[in-house]
Amino acid sequence: MSESGIDGERKRFIAFALTPSLIVLFAVAVLPAIYLVVTSLTPFQLTIPGSATDFSEPFRNYGLLPGDPRFVNSLAVQAKLSVWSVLFQVLLGMLLALLLNVPSRFVEFARTFFLIPMVLPPIVVAVIWKLIYAPDISPLYYAAQALHVTLPALTSNVDFALTSIIIADTWEWLPFTFLMVLAALQTIPDEYSEAALVDGASKLQIFWYVTLPFITPILVISGMFRLIDSVKAFPLIFLLTGGGPGTVTEVTNYYAYLLAFDTNEIGYSSAVTVVMLLLVCGISLGLVWMGRRREALA
Amino acid sequence: MSESSLRKATPGRLIAITVTLLILLSPFLWLLQMSFKTNDQILQFPPPLIFTPTLENYISLWHSAFSASFVNSLLSASLSTALALLLGVPAAYALSRWAGRGKHGLSFAILVTRMAPPIAFTIPFFLFYRWIGLLDTITGLVLVYTSFNLPLVIWMMQPFFDTIPVSLEEAALVDGARTRTVFTRIVLPMVTPGIAATAILCFLYAWNDFFFALILTRTNARTAPVAVVNFMNYEGWEWGKIAAGGSLVMAPVLIFSLAVRRYLVSGLTAGAVKG
Repeated sequence: MSESGIDGERKRFIAFALTPSLIVLFAVAVLPAIYLVVTSLTPFQLTIPGSATDFSEPFRNYGLLPGDPRFVNSLAVQAKLSVWSVLFQVLLGMLLALLLNVPSRFVEFARTFFLIPMVLPPIVVAVIWKLIYAPDISPLYYAAQALHVTLPALTSNVDFALTSIIIADTWEWLPFTFLMVLAALQTIPDEYSEAALVDGASKLQIFWYVTLPFITPILVISGMFRLIDSVKAFPLIFLLTGGGPGTVTEVTNYYAYLLAFDTNEIGYSSAVTVVMLLLVCGISLGLVWMGRRREALA
Repeated sequence: MSESSLRKATPGRLIAITVTLLILLSPFLWLLQMSFKTNDQILQFPPPLIFTPTLENYISLWHSAFSASFVNSLLSASLSTALALLLGVPAAYALSRWAGRGKHGLSFAILVTRMAPPIAFTIPFFLFYRWIGLLDTITGLVLVYTSFNLPLVIWMMQPFFDTIPVSLEEAALVDGARTRTVFTRIVLPMVTPGIAATAILCFLYAWNDFFFALILTRTNARTAPVAVVNFMNYEGWEWGKIAAGGSLVMAPVLIFSLAVRRYLVSGLTAGAVKG
């Protein structure tokens, strides 16, 4: 009898501890999402009274999307930015992790400093790269001048603007993939590579046949995490290129921002955002699926 | 042979590591050194690598509106951290001890709220704030940051509670203690290091935010990251001030992240730094 008394009291406490968070999350995550979808069905502009509740043509915004060159372009820009920066981040992060995977006090101490770009406020990262890309004061341009090389204004050049964003984004997030791969490397028992070494395998063979299979899951997972978050390169684009020149660096996230807070097309911007959310959710579900597989392996 | 012959800290490797680190950090170090230069020194060619450092930029920031925005950042980051912990820590405990079905589904649903791009929240928040008058207020910022940090708290704290054996709690319960007392007197003290690490990460997320502050504040509640950018628009590109402002914004981040280095991975994978 006292058992069930304790049980009931415990259950009530657990419910009591969980409920406020669930209410808050519902209010700040679920309700805004619903509101966003509702707004996307209207031609809402702050300057037009009644436009927020005009549902006469609910799917007009979505119908416009495929024929909107800026929207289509923004998806392509985002794809280019995501694919290249994720690729560089995974590859360079892996190389860095391999370099730093040594048992040494000094290296352990140094590792922390490799993490700095990732923890810096994103806007400070953007300011740093604004400096590097500013012709009149940048060390990069000083160095080029000393070598008698003329560099174009990287962030305002049609051919280099997106590349300059990719470089900055890679710098910012390389530590993340590095950290993940390093953690995976440290779980590999030395015996495997020792045995391979005794059998006469070269360092490259050991990497290919022993190390790589071990770290492939973490490479994929950290790449997926970066892919999901690559839509958040907002501060870099905001400060370095403003989406330009033209629309060369205008990713979907930035286009949605301009629509809502620059040109006041809130309804249309919401539709763009909903599509973007669906894409991110799709990728996230893929990530969860892979995470489950990894759990099953472990 | 305890140490692998493949993983050795050879001098060549240590040099390679040091050189890589210097190259990787050079953009960051460049901003830092610029903050101690006068505007003339900044524009000088070639740039003087050896110079007498000046605190001029920092002093002029102290006397400008930047200091108010710094206080706004401190307030919104710490208040939202406190609120997220107050709500999230009990919830994480409940999820950890909850044996019912749907536990994993619920945990995942909570995490998903963090994965969405910030713009998805910004539009509804902006419209709602505009309606009830929360635009450009610290309260408005605190609410947004709390909602973003709550899933992080729940996800980071759950494993800490998982490590505490239930039998420990049961003993106290059998002795007649109430669950609430067991939670506050026995369980919470055991997870203090976890709470500290989580608090620091929450603070950093709020502190690092640029996007929400850009859209939801104007002048009264403007945060330090937005204030730094404003130096580029209105005060004619004063690079010294920009560098000093940037350095001030990153100072707490560098100090805190050294403190919670061990928890960075779990914190970041629960939805990376928003921007």
